[in-house]
Amino acid sequence: MSVKVHIHTTHRQMTNGLEVVEVEGKTVRECLSHLVSQFPGMEKALFAKKDKLLNNVEVYLNHASAYPNELLKPVKDDDEIHLLVMLTGG
Amino acid sequence: MLTPSERERYDRQIMIGQIGEEGQEKLKRSRVAIAGAGGLGSPIAIYLTAAGIGMIRMIDHDQVTLSNLNRQILHWGEDVGRNKVESAGTKLRNLNSTVNIETIAETITEGNVSQLVEGCDVIVDAMDNLPTRYVLNRCAVEKKLPFFHGAVNGFEGRVMTVIPGQSACLRCMYRGQVPQEKFPVIGVAPAVIGSIQATEVIKYLVGIGKLLTNRLLVYDGLKVSLTEFSVSKNPNCDHCGSLDRKE
Repeated sequence: MSVKVHIHTTHRQMTNGLEVVEVEGKTVRECLSHLVSQFPGMEKALFAKKDKLLNNVEVYLNHASAYPNELLKPVKDDDEIHLLVMLTGG
Repeated sequence: MLTPSERERYDRQIMIGQIGEEGQEKLKRSRVAIAGAGGLGSPIAIYLTAAGIGMIRMIDHDQVTLSNLNRQILHWGEDVGRNKVESAGTKLRNLNSTVNIETIAETITEGNVSQLVEGCDVIVDAMDNLPTRYVLNRCAVEKKLPFFHGAVNGFEGRVMTVIPGQSACLRCMYRGQVPQEKFPVIGVAPAVIGSIQATEVIKYLVGIGKLLTNRLLVYDGLKVSLTEFSVSKNPNCDHCGSLDRKE
C-alpha cells in the first residue's frame, strides 16, 4: 500500500542511487514530505521554500502533468509520481 | 511537380505508402525555420534537407567553437571561428542542392522574431536556452504556426509538438524563470531528439501519423527508454490562454 516516486537521474545521488522510492501520503505534498524524510537531500533538490517547488522541477501523476497546484493533488495507493527536471539544452 | 532527378533522389521515401509522390511534393512546397544551428539544429537540418524540404531557414547568431564539435555535427574542425549558419549552409547545400537553404546570423529577440520566421510554415526549436524558446513559442502561438520543441541534457532529452489553438504550448507549464547554466551533453542525445523533431516536422507537413501534441516524450539514453507524459492546455497560459478564449 504505497505510492511510487520515480526519481530523476540528477537527483539519484540524494536517494542512494534509487530510481524508485516508495512513499505514503494522500496528496503529492505528503508523498514528497515522506520522500524527504527518507532522503533529506531531496528537500533542496525539489523545493525553493516550504510548499514551493523549484521552477525547474516538474511533477507528473500517473503519467499526466500535475501542474498547476501540483502539491495539492490527491493521490491514492499504487499511484505513480514522476519527478522530472526541465531541460534547457540544445 | 517533381523532376526526374528528385524522383530518383527521394525514391525510397516515396515508396512509403503514407508519403508517396503527393507527400514528397508537399515537402518540396514547405518552408521550415530552424532556430539554432547547434546540437539539435544539426540533425534536424540534415534530415530535413535530405528529405527534400523546399526551403530551410537556419537562424543562429553564434560562431563555431572547438567545444561545439562533440555534438554539433554540421560543424567540423575547419569551421572553428566561422558563423554557424554559414558553416551549416555549406554542408546542407552540398548534401542537397535542390533545397533552398537560407541563413540568418542574428540573435533571436522579441523584436525581430516575427520577421525572422516570416514566410515559414513551421518553426523548429533547436535553441540552447529557455528564454529564447519562450520568444519562439509566443511567436508561433501568435502566428498560429506549428512549433516543434526539443531539449537535451546529458544523455536525456524531450520532445513536444505544439499546434497553436489545438494543443498545449511550451509555456502552459511555466512556473517562473529557470537559471541559465552551462549544460552537460553528449552528441548522441541531440542526435536522437533532433531526429524525432525532424520526424514530427515531416509528419506534420505531409499530414500523416500521430503528432506529439499534448504529449511530452522523454528519452533516457542511459536506460534507452522513452516515456510519455500527457500535458494539457492551461487556460491561464500567458501565451496561448487568450488564444483559447478567442476561439
